[in-house]
Amino acid sequence: MHPLLSRRHFLRDTATGLGGIALTHLLSRGNLLANGVPIRPVINPADPNGTRRSHFTPKAKKVLMIFCSGAVSQVDTFEYKPELIRRHGQPMPGGANLVTFQGEQGNLNQSPWAFHPRGQSGKMVSDLVPHLGALADEMCFIHSLTGKTNTHGPGENFMGTGFTLDGFPSMGAWTTYALGTENETLPAYVAIPDPRGAPQSAGNFWGSGFLPASFQGTDFNASQPVRNLARPAGITPDSDKATRRFLSSLNRHHLERFPGDSELAARISSYELAARMQLSVPEVSDLTNEPAHILKMYGADQGGNPVKDLKAAYARNCILARRLVEKGVRFVQLFNGAYQTGGEGVSNWDGHKVLAEQYAKHGEVMDQPTAALLADLKQRGLLEDTLVIWCTEFGRMPTFQKGASGRDHNPEGFTAWMAGAGVKAGYSYGATDEFGYKAEVNPVTVYDFHATVLHLLGLDHERLSFYHNGVERRLTDVHGHPIMDIMEHPSRGLA
Amino acid sequence: MMSCSWKTDHSSTGPRRATAIAGLVLGLVAATAGTVPAPGAEGKAPAGNGEKITTSHWSYQPVRRPEAPQTGKAWAQGEIDEFLAAKLQEQHLEPSGPADRRTLIRRLYLVMHGLPPSPEQVEAFAADTRPDAWERLVDEVLASPHYGERWARHWLDVVRYADSNGFETNRERKTAWPYRDYVIDAFNSDKPWNQFVREQLAGDALGADAATGFLVAGPYDIVKSPDINLSLAQREDELADMVNTTGTAFLGLTMGCARCHNHKFDPILQKDYFAMQAVFAGVTHGERPWHPRPDPGKAPMLAELRKTLAGTEGRLEELRTMASAPALTGGGASALRPPVNHRMNVEEFAPAAAIAVRFTITASTGAEPCVDEVEIYDEAGNNVALASAGAVAEVSGTLPGYEAHKQEHINDGRTGNDRSWISNASGSGWVKISFPSAVRIHRIVWSRDRTEQFPDRLPTAYRFEVMAPPAGGPVISSRETSETSAPAAAAAAAAWTVVASSETRQPFAGGKADPDGVLSRLSGPQADEARRLKAEVAELRSRVAGLEGGSTAWLGTFSQPGPTFRLHRGDPLQKKEVVAPGALTVLNGPGMDVDTPEQQRRLRLGDWMASADNPLTARVQVNRIWHYIFGCGIVDTPSDLGVNGSRPTHPELLDWMADEFMKSGWSVKHMQRLILRSAAFRQSSAPRAEALKTDADARLLWRFPPRRLEAEAIRDSMLTVSGTLNQEAGGPGFYLVEVENENVMHYFPKEKFSPSEFRRMVYQTRIRQTNDGVFRSLDCPDGSLVMPRRSRSNTPLQALNLFNSRFVLQQADLFAGRLTTEAGSRPGDQAELAYRLLWGRAPDGFEKSASTAFIESGGLPAFCRALFNTSEFLFVF
Repeated sequence: MHPLLSRRHFLRDTATGLGGIALTHLLSRGNLLANGVPIRPVINPADPNGTRRSHFTPKAKKVLMIFCSGAVSQVDTFEYKPELIRRHGQPMPGGANLVTFQGEQGNLNQSPWAFHPRGQSGKMVSDLVPHLGALADEMCFIHSLTGKTNTHGPGENFMGTGFTLDGFPSMGAWTTYALGTENETLPAYVAIPDPRGAPQSAGNFWGSGFLPASFQGTDFNASQPVRNLARPAGITPDSDKATRRFLSSLNRHHLERFPGDSELAARISSYELAARMQLSVPEVSDLTNEPAHILKMYGADQGGNPVKDLKAAYARNCILARRLVEKGVRFVQLFNGAYQTGGEGVSNWDGHKVLAEQYAKHGEVMDQPTAALLADLKQRGLLEDTLVIWCTEFGRMPTFQKGASGRDHNPEGFTAWMAGAGVKAGYSYGATDEFGYKAEVNPVTVYDFHATVLHLLGLDHERLSFYHNGVERRLTDVHGHPIMDIMEHPSRGLA
Repeated sequence: MMSCSWKTDHSSTGPRRATAIAGLVLGLVAATAGTVPAPGAEGKAPAGNGEKITTSHWSYQPVRRPEAPQTGKAWAQGEIDEFLAAKLQEQHLEPSGPADRRTLIRRLYLVMHGLPPSPEQVEAFAADTRPDAWERLVDEVLASPHYGERWARHWLDVVRYADSNGFETNRERKTAWPYRDYVIDAFNSDKPWNQFVREQLAGDALGADAATGFLVAGPYDIVKSPDINLSLAQREDELADMVNTTGTAFLGLTMGCARCHNHKFDPILQKDYFAMQAVFAGVTHGERPWHPRPDPGKAPMLAELRKTLAGTEGRLEELRTMASAPALTGGGASALRPPVNHRMNVEEFAPAAAIAVRFTITASTGAEPCVDEVEIYDEAGNNVALASAGAVAEVSGTLPGYEAHKQEHINDGRTGNDRSWISNASGSGWVKISFPSAVRIHRIVWSRDRTEQFPDRLPTAYRFEVMAPPAGGPVISSRETSETSAPAAAAAAAAWTVVASSETRQPFAGGKADPDGVLSRLSGPQADEARRLKAEVAELRSRVAGLEGGSTAWLGTFSQPGPTFRLHRGDPLQKKEVVAPGALTVLNGPGMDVDTPEQQRRLRLGDWMASADNPLTARVQVNRIWHYIFGCGIVDTPSDLGVNGSRPTHPELLDWMADEFMKSGWSVKHMQRLILRSAAFRQSSAPRAEALKTDADARLLWRFPPRRLEAEAIRDSMLTVSGTLNQEAGGPGFYLVEVENENVMHYFPKEKFSPSEFRRMVYQTRIRQTNDGVFRSLDCPDGSLVMPRRSRSNTPLQALNLFNSRFVLQQADLFAGRLTTEAGSRPGDQAELAYRLLWGRAPDGFEKSASTAFIESGGLPAFCRALFNTSEFLFVF
């Protein structure tokens, strides 16, 4: 290997040049190195995903974000409201003439699923998600999330990027921008779309927005490989290899005329990393060596009807997620639900009209595989340094819509949970009112939620920034406070 | 126009010194008394007279033309070089010697056209011994239409242009492209920049309608919340998009920060933000009528396309009729045809000889009936009703006063509400079409609005009658009217025969149903045909609309707005005082009354921005020109020259150029010519170790900084060298994605490409939030946000896309085909030609032998695949 092109050497040789420039640029804005001011990671263009240090000692090194598209109802899953059951069929007090997304509200409606106490903590979880319920002692519930929009696209943007508008970098992009990766042969950031397709705002959800494209998520799942990864049909392995070699010889020959040019050297190494990915991605996606008991645990061995087939496909995605976490991928995003092939309520959690019927399917598909994923991460010790997040774009009403058997959108109060590195286990934070409608106890914003994730990664959300078009941009805009109360032995952060 | 309110006095004493608190450069200074505090978050500017906002920040100061330094260096070719040489000297850096001619011409073409030069162009320049060969070449390049295509793409980044709405439904904007074409034309014609600025704000008042596409080019949420608070917030976001884009694109200022409070860094008051919002308060996203001058050269193609469209639409309607036939619907007893609809109605009958046809309407869905076109087909498939075919139309009467609704529209071959006829009688009217000679007809097609926008005024009861030519007699004139004499009238009455009517249709039951829902009843080949025809109709319609200029385009609509209020913390529920339209107080923005007419507001803002007294507009634009030529601006934050932006590396040069720009009549090409003629542009890009240490990015231009090309230039270059570039310019865009039309749109990358997709990428229908499968990974923006400066990232996904994608492999195959055709079968010759096409040079010894050997062992397509992935191909040097 050409000495210049070894990744480590290259890093060392160019770090001074390029890092120095980035620093000069930073200084040229003046006054930015003082305390409390932006910390912009210095990116080596030759190795944009090289490992970078966090701002302070992190609790978590990796994130697995499970996102349920379509807005999961909190009152049918994790938020138990006895008063809702008692007042079933009655109008919601103060809810007269309440118009939400699709229209007028009918009466309060208890969940079609009963709630039972689970685990040591006795956390009440519904029978829609019994497998997850069994792991309630691992989870840290946040019941008082509030959103800013009751429309799916902007809501997904908000949860994914911190802005309701399009074009902002996703949480995973911010994370890899800050920390790079610890795996040299896999993408730093992987998004695993649902077997049914992409969520509504896919382009934003794993996009890099105005951050360099190096930090965009690479999307693939257990059944859909990375686009353009495989050797093209009709080209033999030998020919492919020979072409690559020939290309490399031309590039190196050309580089001799531009000694020390880091961008050109980086170009060559990107082809080498691509070649390594051609081996590593199929390898990590290949589940054939997973033992039968693992497949069974996730439900990946099921099938025979459309729901079970779908469950198995999602289960394979869950196994893929575990394998990526195992390999040290920094940010893994796993999706449940899609906007293609059906839309409203059919292929996602948007249960406006016939909630009992639709959620029965979604619960079946999501529950066991997701629970198995969490349990599997734990049994392999991966929760020690991995933060698991389960979330959705907003919640649903405790009422049924007038003239329908389903619930309308509700950004006033909804539930997410975290598990693993740095968060309290078997803990519940915040609550909505007695019916599950509006956050009342310790309300938190999506900004707070994001600030918490960054904090657990050892990042100060107020200082992790990127200058774009006149503004020092952050994941949390100009808002947000980490929810210290849900953290186990919280880091103090930077002074 | 402006009295100076900023301070140039930087001395540390005296009351007029700008207040600077912890990085804030905003101060309020009383003209007569001492310093007053900066305005608070509430943005209340002090009330009394004579109080001015001031700033000492460089970009707000008037443009003053400095004298160019005299370095005495032989290297320098003019003032620009003198400024650069002086700065290099300060840093003990030497500029580089000239690049060789082959490198230079490739650099020039890639930078200015985004396309490589042809081998012939390279050879001609290499052999041109005239002393002004370079100057001539620069002029030639600036005169090419490819120049505008390249530079328009840059501007489209700056103004967040795309061809879909974004947000969750993300519908296509099929008529956004006239603005894109306007921008291309503006660059090609070297439209004075100040005029370009004015037109984009108020082109509707300046004879440049397409220019206002600028205002509404950004994302737009069509899903309005039923919650009034949320929908108010949506409107605030729409206006913020216009204010912010205007601020960054033209002024290089981040107005957005002042939406909630006075700008923390720049002297922009919250009041200023809302003053600018008031300028745009009457602008709404959407289409409005647009009538460009038709291109006479394209008339035959247009006629041909219209004919094909009519045929395709007719066949599709036949399938709809077939699908709604009783046997398929299970209706059984009913043998009636489908009810009338607004988009198209077909009347089929046994062939009949005719000298005239009469269409009599006896009922409508309401008001005076409207018809956009009546087509009458002979057995050969010609529309004999066309005025251009000699037919003459008469009508019972026409609703007066509407440009869109005229008698002559009934048979002008153009459809849509804007080219329709409306009767002057409620629920009734007639149209008579007379032919110049007898014809045999069998089909009539008519519609209310073929473009499917307007379902109202639909005729519901009607009949078509044919007048036969006199048996055996000469063809008589059919131009008789009801005023003819009684015997003649009797004869005429006798001659009219009903051939079709609403009697044989099911009664009209409302127009809301999906007209194509019925098509799902078809199966087998008919279902396939219907799907194909639907796609064809859409494609043909957009091509026809493109050629005839369309009748409406996504250019925004305007109406007189109500008052604009300053909003506490930007919250639409917390209205404060009324704010009049205006702009920046610190730069004496135009003062307007609260009730200034809508269009006037935009005109006045444009005049203020385009004034030579505005210090920002010219500086911002010359810096952008520099940025796109050298890869980095003199200010490397090209849309932010404010306090939070970077400082210029060469402030004097920037001012010299800003002044020169204005003196030249705001000529972009003049500035480009000056820069391209400089020694700085013409110097070598070879690195030098000691210079890299001091200035690795070559911000001081000790060499021409090499850089990776943008996605568009890479794609367009591949098409050029493979010989497949489709030079079709302008009009509706092509697609790199397949469109799946549900309530929300889905887009999937195409995997097959044909010549219609081999146009330059500036003509791509750019869909927000959507990956084309290859080029998005190369930092190609999607128009969701403004993108004044693209990242030039380097990722393994780029390598995979360029090495393995269907698009690149297909181009490699086509390139290989070209090499075989033009260079014959000898690998050495093929390699030679490939190098000339890609780089305008012969391969050196190593390259020649390695290439020849690889072609022999690996084949020509593999060779081409490798060349498309070389650094030398992907970069400009």
